Amino acid sequence: MEQSLKETIRQDPKKILGVNPLDAKVSLSYLTVAFVSLLIGGILGLVQGLERAGLIDLPSWLNYYQVLTAHGLLLLLVFTATFSIGYLYANLSHALGGLLPKVRKFAWVGFVLMIIGVAMAVTMIVLNEASVLYTFYPPLAAHPIFYIGLVFVVLGIWACCAGVFINYRHWRKNHPGQVTPLLAYFTMAVFVLWFFATIGVTIEVFTLIPWSMGLVETTNVMVGRTLFWWFGHTLVNIWYLVAISAWYVFVPKIIGGRHFSDKLIRLVVILVVVLNIPGGFHHQIIDPAISQSIKFLHVFMSLSIAVPSLMTAFAMFAVFERTGRKLGGKGLLGWLKKLPWGDVRFLAPMIAMISFIFGGAGGIVNTSNQLNQVIHNTMWVVGHFHITVGVSVVLTFFGICYWLIPYLAKRKLTPKMNKLGIIQTVIWTVGMIIMSGSMHIVGLLGDPRRTSDTTYGGHEAAAGWIPFEMLFAVGATLLLIGVIIQVYAVFNMMFFAPKGLTEYPVAEPEDDATPAPMWTERWGLWIVLLLAVVAMAYVVPIVDMILNAPPGSPPIRTW
Amino acid sequence: MKLAKYGLVLYLFLALPPVANLLESIMIVHMHMQMPLLIASGFLMGRFFQLKFPRFFEKWNSNGVPGIILFIIVWSYWMIPRAMDEAITIQAVEIFKFISLPLLAGVPLRDSWKKLASVGKDITFVYFILMFLIMGWIYIGSESQVCNNYLLVEQKTVGFGSLAIAACIIIYLLQLIFIDQSEFDEVQKD
Repeated sequence: MEQSLKETIRQDPKKILGVNPLDAKVSLSYLTVAFVSLLIGGILGLVQGLERAGLIDLPSWLNYYQVLTAHGLLLLLVFTATFSIGYLYANLSHALGGLLPKVRKFAWVGFVLMIIGVAMAVTMIVLNEASVLYTFYPPLAAHPIFYIGLVFVVLGIWACCAGVFINYRHWRKNHPGQVTPLLAYFTMAVFVLWFFATIGVTIEVFTLIPWSMGLVETTNVMVGRTLFWWFGHTLVNIWYLVAISAWYVFVPKIIGGRHFSDKLIRLVVILVVVLNIPGGFHHQIIDPAISQSIKFLHVFMSLSIAVPSLMTAFAMFAVFERTGRKLGGKGLLGWLKKLPWGDVRFLAPMIAMISFIFGGAGGIVNTSNQLNQVIHNTMWVVGHFHITVGVSVVLTFFGICYWLIPYLAKRKLTPKMNKLGIIQTVIWTVGMIIMSGSMHIVGLLGDPRRTSDTTYGGHEAAAGWIPFEMLFAVGATLLLIGVIIQVYAVFNMMFFAPKGLTEYPVAEPEDDATPAPMWTERWGLWIVLLLAVVAMAYVVPIVDMILNAPPGSPPIRTW
Repeated sequence: MKLAKYGLVLYLFLALPPVANLLESIMIVHMHMQMPLLIASGFLMGRFFQLKFPRFFEKWNSNGVPGIILFIIVWSYWMIPRAMDEAITIQAVEIFKFISLPLLAGVPLRDSWKKLASVGKDITFVYFILMFLIMGWIYIGSESQVCNNYLLVEQKTVGFGSLAIAACIIIYLLQLIFIDQSEFDEVQKD
């Protein structure tokens, strides 16, 4: 029987009322910052590609390392963080029936703190006082204000974490015996990771501030790097978790199917949360001061993240096949044709998923000790993260935009905009294949990353890299076109698209699905397990680095 | 029973000489990874023994207290530096380690934990928190080697590791106290 209007409003107000306008404003503000930084970061990316290819010479007031630092910081940190916060807060509001007023305040406080922090950090980069690259670990030293800016960014993230935790607790208390909606569950997981990830980098930055001010003479470089990668690698998995939240929850609905299995999805989330922080060590596999046997044990920990990844791959393709067959797909691969390839909301995340197969394979190369020796600090690594972050994560984010932004702005996705989105996705994919592909190959040939000039006086080995570097520039040009289209699409959908209602495409479980068990909600336990795994991974090397510390390094400025 | 088989596989894996050698080569891994994993293998295999000898467990461990005391004694014994040293140097002690930890600690833990009243569980938690804190203090503070086979720096590492474990148990206990556990009970949907 049809529900009466009154009942629907009472039980599921979002169906009729849409997202709370106050919550939509929070998310839209974060998304605005995200896409402004995407535009600036994208332009800097092209500048860098052209300089590297030797096609332009930067003016004397702007150097390659400055551009590289700003590009990394704006895209890897600011764009991804603000996008995921905007997106996840919208999810939380949608799933839990609106944010609590105090939680909204937390989100605004976080927003302001992050803006202040980013402004401080970027100012220092522009003044050429902080060309320390986005990894900002010692011994390269930036101006203290750069680090203080980073502290503000972290405080902003913590404010957002606090908001999510409060809203989650509030819902739990009022819904005994029920599992939290999947979207809220993902949000909780991502912010748990944000919180524990940023602890490492906060400790690092607090040791760097007095060091860069000259109050202490030296700092322990190895500890700094280790704490940075505690954060850095977890950030990777934060993006990954945000991306798979869209794959699991929204993509099935967009193709007209159901989601795979509530229990499996939650298990994947728990595994990612518990296992991922120690993965940071594979970024340091060439570092001295970590013994061989410790590195060997860490290979297990790093590769363990492949388990939830493979579970995800299996589940997603099962959903595709099931849905394709339901829509009339025949034969071994006939179901592939039934998928809505002309819908940008599907195409973008689908290409993202496919690219993750290659990204994941490259990741295994990076994690393996012997293979890492070949590619360490070469352009291969740059190619790797442009395919993982730049395609798997970012294309998913772009795909999300095409329903999230019209929904939040109470507008519609027009067929024209959909077509533009398809064009954007294709340009982006081609650009990235050219750029990332050539980076991978030239990395294997030995071209170093993070180096402004790699002609080495015209040495013949270095000369062999030049054609590939030209290809970087070609790819980067296409990518900038992609960025411009995307930013145009986002702001068009935010302010100019025709008014109307857009669906929030949340997939339902299968009719005969068993509900997720309550033990998945035991966040206290998952956090203790996370801490135990972190302790297993970090106590030995960090104690060793501190007790057997070398004299330490003074601040070094190479630019 | 599937879990019991996994337990056996884990046990056999841990007993492989290269695995045992690798794990025992690092002090903290020996104490805080190999030993707990041996207990875990016994814990998983426990089901097999419970089904095979139900009367034995009923008769000797009806309220879980004897079992948990055995568990505490056996695990505490293996925290003694000399016990670890001997496990490395004397083959018979190594064999005893591979028998005692799964069978005299893991299996009784499996059988006892569900039978224990909450006060028994609390006492167990508090005991281990205190044990790890004191161990941390001794191992970090000691100026001389307590194990012949391991360096001073490894000993300090074990100390910090013990403190980390104590901290994890404390956090776990706090969330048990402050979060209403009935929230997690399954409710039948009508």
